[in-house]
Amino acid sequence: MRANFIFSEVWIGLRRNLTMTIAVIITVAVGMAMLGVGLMINTQVGMMKTFWYDKVEISVFLCSKDSAMPACKGKGATPAQVETLKGEIQGIQGVKDVIFENQTEAYKNFQQSFGSNQALVQAARAEDMPESFRVKLHDPDNYQPVIQALTGKTGVAQVINHKDLIGKFFEMLDTLRWAAVIVAIVLVLAAALLIGNTVRLSAYNRRRETGIMRLVGASNLYIQLPFVMEGVIAGLVGGVVAAVMLIVTKVFIFEALSKYLGTSTALGWDSVASVISATMVIGVFICVLASFVTLRRYLRV
Amino acid sequence: MIHFDNVTKVYANQNRPALDHVSVDVDKGEFVFLVGPSGSGKSTFLRLILKEERPNSGAIHVAGKDLARLSNFKVPHLRRRIGCVFQDFRLLPNKNVYENVAFALEVIGKPRRFIRKVVPEVIELVGLEGKAHRMPDELSGGEQQRVAMARAFVNRPMILLADEPTGNIDPATSIGIMKVLDRINRTGTTVVMATHDAAIVDSMRKRVVELEDGKIVRDQSRGVYGQAY
Repeated sequence: MRANFIFSEVWIGLRRNLTMTIAVIITVAVGMAMLGVGLMINTQVGMMKTFWYDKVEISVFLCSKDSAMPACKGKGATPAQVETLKGEIQGIQGVKDVIFENQTEAYKNFQQSFGSNQALVQAARAEDMPESFRVKLHDPDNYQPVIQALTGKTGVAQVINHKDLIGKFFEMLDTLRWAAVIVAIVLVLAAALLIGNTVRLSAYNRRRETGIMRLVGASNLYIQLPFVMEGVIAGLVGGVVAAVMLIVTKVFIFEALSKYLGTSTALGWDSVASVISATMVIGVFICVLASFVTLRRYLRV
Repeated sequence: MIHFDNVTKVYANQNRPALDHVSVDVDKGEFVFLVGPSGSGKSTFLRLILKEERPNSGAIHVAGKDLARLSNFKVPHLRRRIGCVFQDFRLLPNKNVYENVAFALEVIGKPRRFIRKVVPEVIELVGLEGKAHRMPDELSGGEQQRVAMARAFVNRPMILLADEPTGNIDPATSIGIMKVLDRINRTGTTVVMATHDAAIVDSMRKRVVELEDGKIVRDQSRGVYGQAY
């Protein structure tokens, strides 16, 4: 096997089909970048889910005096009622932990959460804060029984599942991920067809050479390798461009995102690296596959 | 060297067989003319030897190998032992004489040192010494055919197949081509040449196999092109 012979053939082939090669590179690059973004969103969502689901709880707000909630009927929850409720909640299956938050603590939390809005903090008093139970579950997905059991109890103003709130956010991320993956699949398909076309053009351009190679007994591998290598090189270059796009995405989108969501859920460079290598492997594999399938049809050996 | 036993070949979508129960033996070192009108099956005969086509029935042995039992993987190795020359030369227009001949060795992975040694020898054998760096379009038809013969012979094949090698060449130049083929034959290479050229067949006085409608109608040692023509 003479490597320099193969490479000169590959170079000639790529140069002759320059526009097609560029088209292949762009399609592979965008396709692989979309796939990579999909994978990155996937990792990000996974990390955020484990992070947030640990903290997900159900808040059971209790009636305070003069509460406007219809469930309270204008009466506040008595200390005795609070004790009974606590016992009941602990008795429900799937409950891991119950924490009582009194008005002072609630006020502290409120001050913290709305620290940027001093006017609101000033206006609120500790007496305005509702008392509540923070209920932690073993399985955050299994919240239905707790909510059913507590809604409508005497002294309970409102039951709020935090998962409903962040669930909306995760739903949006899921949609984004699927959109990216679908776009990636379509583009990968387009890339495969383009590669097939390029290889076909290449085989047609070099039919004289391949005919003679066949005639003098060159092995199938020797005849096909330059064409497959063309696909591999286009795939690799596309992969490198995709890698650059993914790094840019990580820097400008995912790092901006982590500023809002807290650094503990930031996507690390190690996951970016594994996503890049995965997309590279997939890209090159698809290129090789498309080349081989086309050669079977257009280069009779 | 080449052994056809009751070989029939029918191309798809055709009723009439291209070769019809053909049996023929060609020994090592023989020179055989394959004659007959167009469509009589001469090219099919040559394509079957190269395993470019498969027979519908019958057995073909080439260089001791049963082609029916030769896997596709080994077909290139068969073809390395067979040289081919065509009417239309089939040279690479962007390579010079030396490169065209060397190409045949490069693509079967021969080392560069070997190529440098062998190619000039073969170019001399076909009578093109001093023209190694000409491009094909700077050569006459006869010279281009010599390049094609050099390429076919450079790997020292056991068999040389020639499909109307003088078809595009004037009679005077054809004599030179036949001399080269004769020289190749004298090295012990079996030569099978399909041709329409009666003058050449008559002058060479070699074995003649005549095909008509896919059947062998004559097989004559030291024959002529045909009485009827």
